[in-house]
Amino acid sequence: MRSLRYFVNNTDRILGYIGEHAVLILMAVVMAVLVWVSVGILIRNNRRMARGVLGIASLIMSVPSVALYGILVTVPGLGLSRQSAVLALVLYAMLPIIRNVYVALNGVDAAIMENARGMGMPPRRILFRVQLPLATPVILAGVRVSVVMMVGIATLAVFIGERNLGVLIQQGLVRTRPDMIIVGAVLVSAFAIGIDYLFSKLERLLVSPGIRGEAA
Amino acid sequence: MIRFKDVTKRYPGMARPAVDGLTLEVNEGETCVFVGPSGCGKTTTLKMVNRIFEATSGDIFVNGENILSQDQDTLRQGIGYVIQKTGLFPHYTVFENVATVPRLLGWDDQRINSRVYELLRLVGLDPAENAPKYPRELSGGQSQRVGVARALAADPPVMLMDEPFGAVDPITRTQLQNEFLTLQQKVRKTICFVTHDIDEAIKMGNRIAIINNGRLVQYDTPEKLLLAPADDFVAEFIGSDRSLKVLSLLPVPKVLKRQFRVVKETAELESVRASFDASERNRMVIEDEHSNVVGYVTRNDAEKADSARGWNRFIKPFPATLPPEATLRDALAVMLQHDVGAIPVMEHTHKFLGMVYLDDIRSYVGEAYQESDPEPAGEGAPS
Repeated sequence: MRSLRYFVNNTDRILGYIGEHAVLILMAVVMAVLVWVSVGILIRNNRRMARGVLGIASLIMSVPSVALYGILVTVPGLGLSRQSAVLALVLYAMLPIIRNVYVALNGVDAAIMENARGMGMPPRRILFRVQLPLATPVILAGVRVSVVMMVGIATLAVFIGERNLGVLIQQGLVRTRPDMIIVGAVLVSAFAIGIDYLFSKLERLLVSPGIRGEAA
Repeated sequence: MIRFKDVTKRYPGMARPAVDGLTLEVNEGETCVFVGPSGCGKTTTLKMVNRIFEATSGDIFVNGENILSQDQDTLRQGIGYVIQKTGLFPHYTVFENVATVPRLLGWDDQRINSRVYELLRLVGLDPAENAPKYPRELSGGQSQRVGVARALAADPPVMLMDEPFGAVDPITRTQLQNEFLTLQQKVRKTICFVTHDIDEAIKMGNRIAIINNGRLVQYDTPEKLLLAPADDFVAEFIGSDRSLKVLSLLPVPKVLKRQFRVVKETAELESVRASFDASERNRMVIEDEHSNVVGYVTRNDAEKADSARGWNRFIKPFPATLPPEATLRDALAVMLQHDVGAIPVMEHTHKFLGMVYLDDIRSYVGEAYQESDPEPAGEGAPS
């Protein structure tokens, strides 16, 4: 009840937080997809390089998020800025996206790949017309996991100056206000669930009906 | 036309070459079947033609041109390719799958449309029903048909088929084989076909290349292969029932006895008896006024008959007849089924061509095996 009252009394402020949260996530997702999908494509045929890149990604994933924010803030040119927050989220997305891109591209049935080559498809066309479309469900699954994760990790960006849903949780903890914590937690969860739903829609849009429902 | 000239393929780390000094030529419009035990190099041989594998040494020519002198993708676009697992693109519809190579070649939409529909009809699929389907909605046999249609899309003169009917059930396989033989009659492609099934090789091939340990052991027509295997390996690979298999390759006319007196149903008994006197045979074929065969009369019956009561009641119908395109295997089967030693061969079910005798089949096949030259002596030895 108190949580609801808090929510009703502070709607404008909270909507502002949601907006901030969304903008941060959006920036991070776009950048993460552009960069990590490209990296995944580049390393698809090079097992040694893939092992190295995925190793680095795992290492980054293992750094606690608050610590990562802290480290980025000390980097000259980043500091207490949105860049730091976005970069942190992008780094966390590295492992799930690259790994899924790599696994999915290499997981395309060898017979299909051989036929594509045997029919005289140029390599670039094979990548864009055959391999990537067939890998899309698994790649999307990786992006989906990373975005849902970002929603949670973004709350901690309040420690480096972001004003998003994390504020409710952080303030609630500092001021011992369970109503604020609950509102924050529920909204973050709802946000994540909403994004998950968006991705299921996106999958219908991007994945051929011929392979829909097979992976992810 | 496909020509292999001293082609060798070595894989790194392998003691012996996968393909060892292969030289052979596939004539235009013919199907050459590569057959041999697993790991003999037959698939490697096939896949060197479209450069999925590159030959270590030697030259391969397609339509007179060295395959290395052409752009790899251009070469491949000119060669139809069908593999066992069909390799259909699951995210493409049947239409898009078949349209793959025409699109690579930059055909306009209208031309692609009509070509795809034409091909689907050619392989026995209703275009309207099947074009919008995705591969996972197809049965194994249908997928294989789409695979063949896709390979034929740009009307390539040459086709490579790697165990194309290997992954379907035996009934569907037989059906696909028969359909493909009919199709090949129409399209007349130069085909390299890989299988490990000698019966499929005998059925599909104009010529068969038996390969063992990367070497060409024998390259011959199915008939010669069965009658005169080059060595023990070939004989064993073909199987101990090769004398039965050869029967299905030899058409009935090879042993047909054509010189027969045919007597009209309306003839007098005297002329029937005269015919018997002039012949050594114990049976005479009887036909009606329209030259349709009605049956036969035996010598004994002709002697017993008296003209007053009419000899016609002694005419016995043949229990079975064969068309001229039947094989000796069919003839033997019919003979065993009806327990007779001779079967008439009729064109269009009524025009008498001659008789096939069990003894002739036996001696024909027997002689063929004994001859060092497997080419059988002339057609239908006259009686």
